[in-house]
Amino acid sequence: MANLSVDLAGIKLSNPTLTCSGTCGYAFEYADFMDLSKLGAFVTKSITREERPGNEPTRIVETRAGMLNAIGLANVGLDRFLKEKVPLLKKMPCPVIVNVAGHSFDDYTETCAAMDSLDCVAGVELNVSCPNVKDGLTFGTHPGRLKELTHEVKKVLPHKPLMVKLSPNVEDITATARAAVEGGAQVLTLVNTFTAMAIDIYKKRPRLANVTGGLSGPAIKPIALHLVSRVYRNVAKPAGVPIVGMGGVQTWQDAVEFILAGATAVAIGTALFVEPSTPNKICDGLHEYLAKMKVERLSELVGALQLPGDEPRQSPYP
Amino acid sequence: MASTARGSFLAVVRQNIPLCREHFRLVLELEHFPQTSPGQFVQLSCRDVSLASDVGEEFESTDKRRPQLQAEELTRPVAMLRRPFSLAGRRDRGSNTEIDIIHRVVGIGTDFLAHLKEDDEVGVLGPLGNKFTLPKENQEAILVGGGVGIPPMLYLAEKLSGKRAVAFAGALTRDLLPLTIVDPEARGLDDIRALSDIAEFAKHGVRSVITTDDGIYGFRGFVTQALERYLDEAKPNAVIYTCGPEPMMKRVADIALARGIECQIAVERAMACGMGTCQSCCIKVKKPDPNQPPLVGRDWCYRLACTDGPVFRASDLLW
Ligand SMILES: Cc1cc2nc3c(=O)[nH]c(=O)nc-3n(C[C@H](O)[C@H](O)[C@H](O)COP(=O)(O)OP(=O)(O)OC[C@H]3O[C@@H](n4cnc5c(N)ncnc54)[C@H](O)[C@@H]3O)c2cc1C
Ligand SMILES: Cc1cc2nc3c(=O)[nH]c(=O)nc-3n(C[C@H](O)[C@H](O)[C@H](O)COP(=O)(O)O)c2cc1C
Ligand code: FES
Repeated sequence: MANLSVDLAGIKLSNPTLTCSGTCGYAFEYADFMDLSKLGAFVTKSITREERPGNEPTRIVETRAGMLNAIGLANVGLDRFLKEKVPLLKKMPCPVIVNVAGHSFDDYTETCAAMDSLDCVAGVELNVSCPNVKDGLTFGTHPGRLKELTHEVKKVLPHKPLMVKLSPNVEDITATARAAVEGGAQVLTLVNTFTAMAIDIYKKRPRLANVTGGLSGPAIKPIALHLVSRVYRNVAKPAGVPIVGMGGVQTWQDAVEFILAGATAVAIGTALFVEPSTPNKICDGLHEYLAKMKVERLSELVGALQLPGDEPRQSPYP
Repeated sequence: MASTARGSFLAVVRQNIPLCREHFRLVLELEHFPQTSPGQFVQLSCRDVSLASDVGEEFESTDKRRPQLQAEELTRPVAMLRRPFSLAGRRDRGSNTEIDIIHRVVGIGTDFLAHLKEDDEVGVLGPLGNKFTLPKENQEAILVGGGVGIPPMLYLAEKLSGKRAVAFAGALTRDLLPLTIVDPEARGLDDIRALSDIAEFAKHGVRSVITTDDGIYGFRGFVTQALERYLDEAKPNAVIYTCGPEPMMKRVADIALARGIECQIAVERAMACGMGTCQSCCIKVKKPDPNQPPLVGRDWCYRLACTDGPVFRASDLLW
């Protein structure tokens, strides 16, 4: 069998499949439906300093080959996370990455500082797609602010790899990617959901109570793939920072595409709702693919995409 | 022996028959399906599962059909997410189980289900959610089902054999009632006598009252009006179980609360996962103690219809 293991800034994964934050609960919610021990890593729902009820329903709506969500960061908050979820996470049979969100610098630094000393936490992922309560500007859309945030967080998180999850709702994702890396991000995750809407044509109203929501699922995959490819070439590869690619990954073929575009690992979100065992199946498919392509280590394929004008590489075909 | 765990199953269609306008009964056979209770539901894949095999070539070719693109959504609209359906009945034979799903065609997912043929395969996640609590020894069970809220009442009736029970089944009009009405004698416009004329209820000894909004059959008016009349005339020591359109359930809750009658409500919410991970199916409930988590300091919180529910007590719901 080929070797699927990958390394994300020191987090050793047995295979390149992660779960997407917000699509897999806090710990064992999927235990009856998938083999958690065969996950590369588990990423929790976004945790904020204060507990949040989230948005009014209706919070989701399916669209063509995708869905919109406006959950509103409903989560148990830091205190209950430490009390109720950490004991569960200690028993997780795979590495755990905690996703942290906030509405101010202090929100982020306080929550992240609490993660630094937890043995069961392998790394922290920053969700920067939330507006700052002070001025309403989203952390993840302003390179300057994102760099500052990443820098502040890294100071309180000296012992854990810091991952920054990029928002695709920006003019130039390489600018925010670069800012995150300059601020100290050790892994880049991309992408979060695309701001979008759906309309009930009979009621002449938005179908989500929140008006807009984030689009995820197969519909966004080609766009996500392009963004991963750009960030890999322009920022991640030169800086030696690994990427976790996500957005519509459903099959092993999707995973291979992301890896060729430059992702070291892939995360699966919306597809888990349809079939929680998707990551397990993707690993099966990757094994078959590597055997067919006569590749021994999956990591050899990271960024192996050839674009016109690239230095010719050796053909992977024998 | 059925296990208690939940899981992802592949079921085979044994029967798929139209029951009345827009309604179908889908009978699915599964192996080693865990124990289930009335009130619980399953998430059905409403797309061709043979194409969802993730390990394979871009084109899938079986002896049964021409080669097809795996990415079905590129060729026509497909229901990506699974759809939740209440269990409407269950029969066991050895390690094999048949479950009944009764559904109304309202969109692409249910339309797909309506076209399934015998021996087709359907993905089933489940059993999901909590369950109805059965009545106490001296209590009468009153089942109130409206439209697509009737199916879970049929499964509940299975468990009420030998108990005092009466069912109220309401719809807009007669041909939207997915039930076998054995005695077609049209009753008086305001007749709320409980008769044994709905076969599905009668076979479990549950009498029933049919209501239609247009009065074409049974009691003319809303099922809630018939219920109110019944409660005021019979003054039963009862527990009410209800499922149906939200305005109907809210009215049933009010009727029960006003009379101090216990009422269990199976709510329906837009769901993505059904497994408690996405936080989409939330419903507002009262907290007994504002100083206890979740959301310390507030007298309400959200609960998940898919895992904390779908059955809630009327007295807890803020909707
Ligand atoms: C716990 C639970 C149990 C259910 N049990 C049954 C059942 O036994 N029989 C049955 O016929 N239906 C049942 N439903 C409703 C059923 O899930 C929806 O009718 C179905 O999801 C519609 O899918 P679609 O693709 O055909 O329609 P879509 O194209 O998704 O939507 C068509 C219309 O249906 C509405 N709709 C979509 N999803 C839901 C939903 N979850 N609840 C209410 N309305 C919805 C939409 O707003 C829209 O107006 C249940 C729902 C829940 C949450
Ligand atoms: C219901 C839902 C909830 C989500 N919640 C979060 C969240 O709390 N934090 C976060 O960083 N991303 C969240 N996301 C975004 C996903 O992690 C992921 O970036 C996105 O869905 C794209 O991947 P997918 O197409 O595989 O779902 C959520 C997505 C969905 C569908
Ligand atoms: S449907 Fe996903 S949490 Fe209930």
